[in-house]
Amino acid sequence: MTDTDRHNAKTLSSLRQHGGPWLWLSILAPLTAGALLVWQAWTLAAVLGSAIETGAALDTLTPGIALILALLLARAALAAIGDRAGTAAAEAIKAQLRATLFSHLLARSPRAAEQPQSGAASAAIVDQVEALDGFFAHYLPAMIQAAVLPIAFGAIILPLDWLAGLLFLVTAPLIPVFMALAGWGAQIATDRQARALSLLTGRFADRLRGLVTLKLFGRAEAETAGIVAASDELRRRTLRVLRIAFLSSAVLEFFAALGVAGIALYVGLTFIDYLHLRASPLTLELGLFLLLMAPEVYNPLRLLAAHYHDRAAAKSAIGEIEAQLGKLPEAPAPLADIKPMPGTGPIGLTATGLTLRTPDAARVILANADLTIAPGDHVALLGPSGIGKSTLLEAVARLRIHEGEIALDRRPLADWPEAELRARVTMLGQKPRIFAGSIAHNIALARPGASTSDIRHAAERAHVAPFADALPDGLDTILGEGGLGLSGGQAQRIALARIYLRDAGLILLDEPTAHLDAELEQAVLDDLKSYARGRTLVIATHSLAVAARMGRAWRIAGEALLPTPLPARKGKGVA
Amino acid sequence: MKALLAFRSLFLSQVRGFTLALILSLVTLAAGIALLGTSGWFITAAALTTAGLAFNLFVPSSLVRGFSFIRILARYGERLSGHDATLRLLSGLRGWLFARLFPRLPLADRSLRHGDLVSRLTSDVDALDTAFLVAIGPIAAALVIGAALTALLAWLLPGAAWLYGFCYGVAVLVVPTGLVLTSRAAGNAVVQRAADARAAVLDGIEGHADLTVFGVLGTAQSGFAATSRHLAAVRGRLSTLTAIAGFAVQALAALALAGSLWLGLSAFAAGAIDGPVLAGLLLAIAGSFEATSTIVRSVGKLTTAMAAAERLTAIAEAPPAIVDPATPAALPADTTLALTGVTFGYGGPPVLDNLDLAVAIGEHIAITGPSGSGKSSLLALLLRLADPQSGRITLGGTALPTLRQADIHASVALLSQHSPLFNDTIRANLRIARPDADDDALWAALAAAGIGDFVRALPAGLDTMVGEGGRTVSVGQARRLCLARVLLSPAKILLLDEPTAALDRPAEVAFFETLHQAAQDRTVIVVTHAAIPDGTMDRVLTLRNGALTS
Repeated sequence: MTDTDRHNAKTLSSLRQHGGPWLWLSILAPLTAGALLVWQAWTLAAVLGSAIETGAALDTLTPGIALILALLLARAALAAIGDRAGTAAAEAIKAQLRATLFSHLLARSPRAAEQPQSGAASAAIVDQVEALDGFFAHYLPAMIQAAVLPIAFGAIILPLDWLAGLLFLVTAPLIPVFMALAGWGAQIATDRQARALSLLTGRFADRLRGLVTLKLFGRAEAETAGIVAASDELRRRTLRVLRIAFLSSAVLEFFAALGVAGIALYVGLTFIDYLHLRASPLTLELGLFLLLMAPEVYNPLRLLAAHYHDRAAAKSAIGEIEAQLGKLPEAPAPLADIKPMPGTGPIGLTATGLTLRTPDAARVILANADLTIAPGDHVALLGPSGIGKSTLLEAVARLRIHEGEIALDRRPLADWPEAELRARVTMLGQKPRIFAGSIAHNIALARPGASTSDIRHAAERAHVAPFADALPDGLDTILGEGGLGLSGGQAQRIALARIYLRDAGLILLDEPTAHLDAELEQAVLDDLKSYARGRTLVIATHSLAVAARMGRAWRIAGEALLPTPLPARKGKGVA
Repeated sequence: MKALLAFRSLFLSQVRGFTLALILSLVTLAAGIALLGTSGWFITAAALTTAGLAFNLFVPSSLVRGFSFIRILARYGERLSGHDATLRLLSGLRGWLFARLFPRLPLADRSLRHGDLVSRLTSDVDALDTAFLVAIGPIAAALVIGAALTALLAWLLPGAAWLYGFCYGVAVLVVPTGLVLTSRAAGNAVVQRAADARAAVLDGIEGHADLTVFGVLGTAQSGFAATSRHLAAVRGRLSTLTAIAGFAVQALAALALAGSLWLGLSAFAAGAIDGPVLAGLLLAIAGSFEATSTIVRSVGKLTTAMAAAERLTAIAEAPPAIVDPATPAALPADTTLALTGVTFGYGGPPVLDNLDLAVAIGEHIAITGPSGSGKSSLLALLLRLADPQSGRITLGGTALPTLRQADIHASVALLSQHSPLFNDTIRANLRIARPDADDDALWAALAAAGIGDFVRALPAGLDTMVGEGGRTVSVGQARRLCLARVLLSPAKILLLDEPTAALDRPAEVAFFETLHQAAQDRTVIVVTHAAIPDGTMDRVLTLRNGALTS
């Protein structure tokens, strides 16, 4: 067993606590059913034995038959209760774990280099967590049964027949040893398979996002073949796992069959006086009881084998979840909404000796740069694309790490409490997310619980209302994920409307009008400027028409920030 | 069930593997029942025999050992062959779905969220894939075993045959059917809720910056927690139904065993049956319900598989919006484009209204116009991603609907506003446009898109991974890589939708100048808001109120 393996197993058992009383019920119900089973087998053997050997009359046997029926029904009920309780426990654990993982994902910095791909993260939180289901719902109760019942059955049988009892007591504990031997190989292979499955899901997500592009480039057949090839590769890996995994169940099957056959031969040979290993003569009643119990001794182990892969799958899933999302946290991160604070005036921005790098730290964007923006200024941030305007805005919004100092209102950025920072500083990124939901829902994201009239007002300011009103459902129109069905300019204006629901002292906008025509761009800017009066506004742009509307301009050039003269205002300008 | 039948040809392609698995599972079950039955008969007969050494020991003891080993081997073979056939089916299903998806693009249903689509591809296909292994196979095996044992009882213990047959039949047929009918809704809900959860995670990650900036992480978290609680609740509902059905099957087994015991003892008292045979039969009956123990779980999986099948067929069998002609016309060498009287809309007022346009071979035109005026729709029509409600579009004088879509797409390449980069190397991303392109061609395209120097400066050059959605490069750089891809394509007509949206003014001017040079022998239609540098376009048209004016 490797260290990772042990760590994963430990992590798994630490999750048990979230199962609560359901988990106990799922374990205790089958154990009780096991105790009833001994009673039932004994009664059945007694009824048959006394009828066949001693010719007891039917009416004296009727109570026994009724008891057998009652015991069978009680066991059926206990099995159903245990099953349902197992699911309840597993669901509680999974829901708790999902909430925990998701909250810690959100609690990290959105631009941290270790943030996972969205496809891989959703595979981890939804699918890999689902893979834990079998472990808690089935494997855990089965494991307890396998540990308790064979030994208990053996101990009950031992005083009745020492040889049968010994056979059970010796073979039953041996089985898990053999199974473990066969199972180790399977575990390693299962780990590899979980990784392959995750990659495959990531590949699907990635290719699906660009399916239309692939079609237009005539790649339909090649990509289809690629998916089939990837799935086939997964099949070969999986079969390699299964060939070994099934070996462990064959070992079990071998012992179980050996147990039944061995008892049958031993009892039969004793009856015909071929074997003389008992002090007292064997009754048919006892012989039948031993035979009835023989498969039952191995049944808990068979059940365990059926769910053995649940444990391997769960351990791999834990490993994969930790590989994608980092070490499993104990409890959900405390996340709360930040209430907008009433305006306390515009915020000034200074940066001294600022150095910024790309997330992978491979490239320097700004080195030792300085920047001063007075409270209430409207500033354009210029520079060729790819030079780092977006990175700078994100650093100011504390979404990226930086070296050197950024101060808002002369207070270092790091000293701002998160609540105050988010309430007072707002930002519109270059690729704002349009969430699944209605247009109104997307706008209200900026202030949960905003009134319909506030949303309406924001939609009008951002020039969303004209195109939304042309749609049959207006602002209640449902948008597809990723804003499909919207033009780039429409999505951007919906995101811009969010800004109007905040009451920020510093507004950071990244290319807010990139997809708009000159006429609409000016109209949007008119409203933006009138809203931003008495607030600090920084717009990263390469449109000179936008820059011309601002009060000042800064330019990123050669890893430095320089104040730059404003371009003259003359429509969509040429530099 | 009907939806499931739509996949029968895929199932039939693996019929040999599945038949083998079914036969082996029958052998396994039969050997297990025979082992118990023979043992019961053997020890009872041995107990009753008075002349010990006269007892024929050889036959029963070798039967007992034989059944044991048959069972072990059959079980191993059954599981391996079943899984192999299942996994072969899986890659077949995935390929099938992709092949069905491509002709149906772009999907008309806007509510088809991305996370949902991923869910359909993986979970639904998986659920459908295991339908035989965990559902159809065990039910079929249980039916055969039950029928065989009923026949045996009819011969040896006729009084109990009807009771056993009835109980077994109800357990294998009626209970599962009832469970299917009652759990359909819950099964559908499980798949739907899982898709919701996936979409919520995608929203959370892709919108992480927005959620952080607006300080609404709490809302996002509680929204997701509610989604996952809903998922847990519907799974719980499904589990309750399954537990009830499981109890019903066990109760029927109890009834069959206790009833047969009573009837068997009556027959024994009447001298109609031997003691050893009765003991063997009763043990066989007890053993035969091994086959039903997994049935309830099978039915749960079957319900999930049917829901998955319905969702898959819904997307894969939807009629494609655009169909290739039965006898496609040959692709003309002439690449003149002409639109006459084209009217197009999305159900509301027409976006394009009686529009006319002719583009000569090698002509470069720019189309400007207010946002939402239908510029992108016009480009979609030229690619035949949609058909106009009226009017005619021709390529080299041949109407688009008479051409194969693949031929149109080979002649017309698009840089759309949503063009993505794939999580692959820069080289692989570019080669999507021309799989056989050599490095010189790639560098030429990168240079033409104004990003050659950037790529050259990267440590891994063309082998640099761009990350999911092009995350490791800036938006402007991603856009230029997409542009390089379009320039690399062998298409004679290039459609560029806002190619300079992420570029600064000097880069924008440089782009138009480069395009003028780099695409001299190709037709170019650019949709843009940018001011067009003089002399870089042959014509500039404005799209307003559904019509083009120069």
